[in-house]
Amino acid sequence: MSAGITSNEAHSSTYRAAEMARTIGLYILLIVASLVVLFPILFSLSLAVQGDTLAPQLVPDFSKLDWSVFSQAFNQEPNLGRWIINSFVVSLAVTLGQLITSSLAAYALATLDFPGKSIFFVIFLATLMIPWEATVIPNYLTIARDLHWKDSYQGLIVPFLGSGFGIFLLRQYFMTIPKDLYEAAVIDGCGRTRYLWSILIPLSRPALGTLAVYAFLNTYNQYYWPLLITDSPEWRTTQVGITAFRQTESAVFNLQMAGTLIVMVPTLLLLIIGQRQLVRGLTSGALKG
Amino acid sequence: MSAVDRPDSKSAQPFDAAMSTQTDEVVTITPSSQTTSPDETFSNSTYIRRRRWQNFGWALLYMAPALIIFAAFTFWPFFQSIYLSFFVTDQAGQTVRFNDVQYYSRILNLDGSGRTEYLQSIWVTIEFSLMVVPLGIVVSVALAVLATAKVKIIGVFRTIFTSSVAISVASASVIWALIYNPSVKATQWLVDALHLKSQGLLLDASTALPSVAFMTIWTSLGFNFIITLSGIQAIPQDLYESSKIDGANGWNSFRFITLPLLTPTLLFLFIISTISCFQAFTQFNVLIANEGPDGSTNVMVYQLFTAFFKDTRYGFASAIAVVLFLVVLVLTLIQYRLLDRKVHYQ
Repeated sequence: MSAGITSNEAHSSTYRAAEMARTIGLYILLIVASLVVLFPILFSLSLAVQGDTLAPQLVPDFSKLDWSVFSQAFNQEPNLGRWIINSFVVSLAVTLGQLITSSLAAYALATLDFPGKSIFFVIFLATLMIPWEATVIPNYLTIARDLHWKDSYQGLIVPFLGSGFGIFLLRQYFMTIPKDLYEAAVIDGCGRTRYLWSILIPLSRPALGTLAVYAFLNTYNQYYWPLLITDSPEWRTTQVGITAFRQTESAVFNLQMAGTLIVMVPTLLLLIIGQRQLVRGLTSGALKG
Repeated sequence: MSAVDRPDSKSAQPFDAAMSTQTDEVVTITPSSQTTSPDETFSNSTYIRRRRWQNFGWALLYMAPALIIFAAFTFWPFFQSIYLSFFVTDQAGQTVRFNDVQYYSRILNLDGSGRTEYLQSIWVTIEFSLMVVPLGIVVSVALAVLATAKVKIIGVFRTIFTSSVAISVASASVIWALIYNPSVKATQWLVDALHLKSQGLLLDASTALPSVAFMTIWTSLGFNFIITLSGIQAIPQDLYESSKIDGANGWNSFRFITLPLLTPTLLFLFIISTISCFQAFTQFNVLIANEGPDGSTNVMVYQLFTAFFKDTRYGFASAIAVVLFLVVLVLTLIQYRLLDRKVHYQ
């Protein structure tokens, strides 16, 4: 119908329009998905700032938001700060412990060749198959009755210093690092332990970061064990504390939600800071170039 | 010299592919015959053997911290649980008298007492996992694919999709308890639409378990998303580029590249999520705090908690724990079997 040039132009502008529509569609999808995923957090924030009411709305009246509720929560529950400190001490100790025990074990499984390796592999695999609940009664009796570790940091920390998940995660990562590197290092006279600390560990930062963030979050967010092993209010961790707080303030929705949000802040911040660790590419081309 | 060092590069064991979350199994796994070639000289093989035993000492040393912790807080208590389950115990957890398998026959309703609540509890737990695991994985794959979109500020969206990993089940339960709370009216429309006789979703026998399952999908979403996204990112980009040149559309490259190469990751997720469903306790203790309407949310771990912590019946609670372990074990083995054939090896 028309000349070739105009049809080409029409073609490319249709293409550009389609591309544009695609991008806008993607953004809409992403935003809708985000709102759905964030709904519970937005909900709690909305209820927290509405003041003390028994009939809260989903969307607050923006002209009279009450932000004082967050400091009010600390006054209402003097132990709130202590709970946060407890959770931090326990989570940091467990994270460090898991990083050490897991990277050592994963190193042996991934890099060294030794007799009975598959047996040890199955032993570590078995820890993933034994649910924590299948061990909780004797563990409770050991810690609370025999060691008298109720209401103590060691009671909250020590049982969690090993991680089957961590071992497999790190082993998996260590195996992606070329064997040539190990062989080259050994030929150059590098000892086994030195290879782990000065080559494997630095190369495995993404995997270690993933494990660290994961271990910290998991420990901070523990509920069952601290519920069993803490009696006095000042030894509670945040999670046990916040559910107790909910019961004492059962009809005060804004305080409940404010307390919950305060308890969530440290891990949400950590997530934002540690995000890069989690999504960073999992392989680094060490032998290239 | 390099031939001597080669035994270190031992080829993959059967479990490797099953447990792996990352890239290496995408690479072709070769049959394991190449490592020790038959025509190796005698002196070489003695050397290798000596070296392997030398390695053994070091390996044991490296694994010792993890092994000690697992021995003390996983394996010993596990066998102790089995032992206790055959005994009647006192308030302090000391065995009083041998009880044979009576607790087990009670749980499985074989003792003629007509108490079906323990069998029902097993069923409730299975139902709960069936509600949570498949849907949870579908949602996380969808979100992960969406999060690979090449648009600006995609990092912000990734953080948002990851966010629920940072929120504890306990905090989430406090929030969801209010979402489901009848006086807040957030779920009133659903209560009306389903013509429930009860005031709220958590108070009705037909909706209590799905409601807890729904919030559980939300709480596990962040972790599932991280694992799935890193699985997708481990897929080599040039596969997508060459398939694009061959004229594959988005769906085709998802169906024939992403999904097959993601199966090891998804298998891992399947196992981990099912196990965590069987361990779910917090949300039941906070949202429901008893066995639920008509026992409809009385999952095994909650029942275990009741017997163990509320009633201090350590022997009986141990029997529930052992049954819980066996169910988890069977499910894990089934999952290995079912998904084994579909896992991508080549």
